[in-house]
Amino acid sequence: MLIPESARPQGAGDEPSVRYLLQRRFTARLLPQVRLLVEECAAREGLAEPRRGEFVLAVDEVAGNAVEHAGGSGRLILRRIGDELECLVIDSGPGFTEAVIPELLPGLDGAPTGRGLWMARLVADRLTIAAGAAAGAVVTLAVRVH
Amino acid sequence: MRISAGDSASDRLIPVHRMRPGDHAFVSYDDDEIRWDVLTAFTRLGLARGERVIVFPRPGLSEEEVLARLDFPNRTTATARIRGQLVLSSMRRLISPDPAFTADRQWSRLREETTQAVAEGYTGLRAFIDMHWVPDLGADVHTMMHRESNAHELFKGRPYSEICAYDRRWFAPEVLTAMAEAHPRNLLEQLGALHTERAPDGALRFIGEADAATKQPFLTTLELALVQGAAAGRLVLDLSRLHFLSVGCATGLLTLVQEANGLSRVEVRGDLVQLRTLQRLGAASISRLTLSEVTRPC
Repeated sequence: MLIPESARPQGAGDEPSVRYLLQRRFTARLLPQVRLLVEECAAREGLAEPRRGEFVLAVDEVAGNAVEHAGGSGRLILRRIGDELECLVIDSGPGFTEAVIPELLPGLDGAPTGRGLWMARLVADRLTIAAGAAAGAVVTLAVRVH
Repeated sequence: MRISAGDSASDRLIPVHRMRPGDHAFVSYDDDEIRWDVLTAFTRLGLARGERVIVFPRPGLSEEEVLARLDFPNRTTATARIRGQLVLSSMRRLISPDPAFTADRQWSRLREETTQAVAEGYTGLRAFIDMHWVPDLGADVHTMMHRESNAHELFKGRPYSEICAYDRRWFAPEVLTAMAEAHPRNLLEQLGALHTERAPDGALRFIGEADAATKQPFLTTLELALVQGAAAGRLVLDLSRLHFLSVGCATGLLTLVQEANGLSRVEVRGDLVQLRTLQRLGAASISRLTLSEVTRPC
């Protein structure tokens, strides 16, 4: 499977080692399986509850966003980089930026969109959104394992 | 999604993710694709938790097919197989050299396997048993049923868990009903499923996964329960057997509870992840809502 440039580790030398744990295309139908696989990998890497459950929640929200707004599918890459578990969700939709994530949580009577990505950014130790190599977006979210 | 009234069989229903050492579970299937869901989840999560996993697949299936299913889409299970953490076996092999099945022989061998797994450093043993071994060995169904109904000692104080998978196309309905009753745990048949029931104390209990695909039935059931609960003035929502609660479902829950003016109190019971999700989404702003933590097994 091709790894996009934006998903490849940059540089060399003192960079932490990278281990690929999971690469999976997904659609809405496959999201329960994706959650299981992410949970399995996170447990194997030593990410304990409740952070493991929160990481699975964040991944599901980002993947679900790709399904809903980027043509119904996407690709997920999960890897271990140093003391972080990092997940990339790559889609081929119209692309988007962090501006779509509300700074403050909308009230329950407020706008119905944006809460999933807001939650993903809140529970992740790191979340960035970049343009894909040819089109779409690459959302990167990471949590520290220890 | 099915809604039941809290009969004793559904009261023991859990998603496969929640299987823990000491659990003895029943699952049934009639679809040759869906049946892999429970097996692969049980196997993968067991390996990740440091347990040894023995799979007793349907006799006649090739090892290549079973391993290909377990390995998809990454090959962590292949590594486990090489180092002996994952074992494919058969009931015939387990009870060997005895030619005929007896409960005592099977229990004895499973106790030995558990002891050996622990001695080798694993945190426990889990076994997935496709019950097609019964016709394969020419065993008496009633002997098998007696074994299943009297296996409590095998699980007591021992890090052993077991799933018994029954093909609804082969076993008679009365056998399936009796076996569902005989097992302390019953499993949802596939990943991503959502089941709702009334607990014995009247709480509305959700089981499985509340995600984008099950959001509509989740919210419809909740809305009906809130209307019905108005007469009593209070409602308890039990999320403790829900393995996944999405932001969309959690937001919908909070919105419906906020609008439920006929109720003076709504209590949500859930694990730490679920309660944190609800708190982060604004649970504290709803005065009639209280959150109670139910400890989730690790």
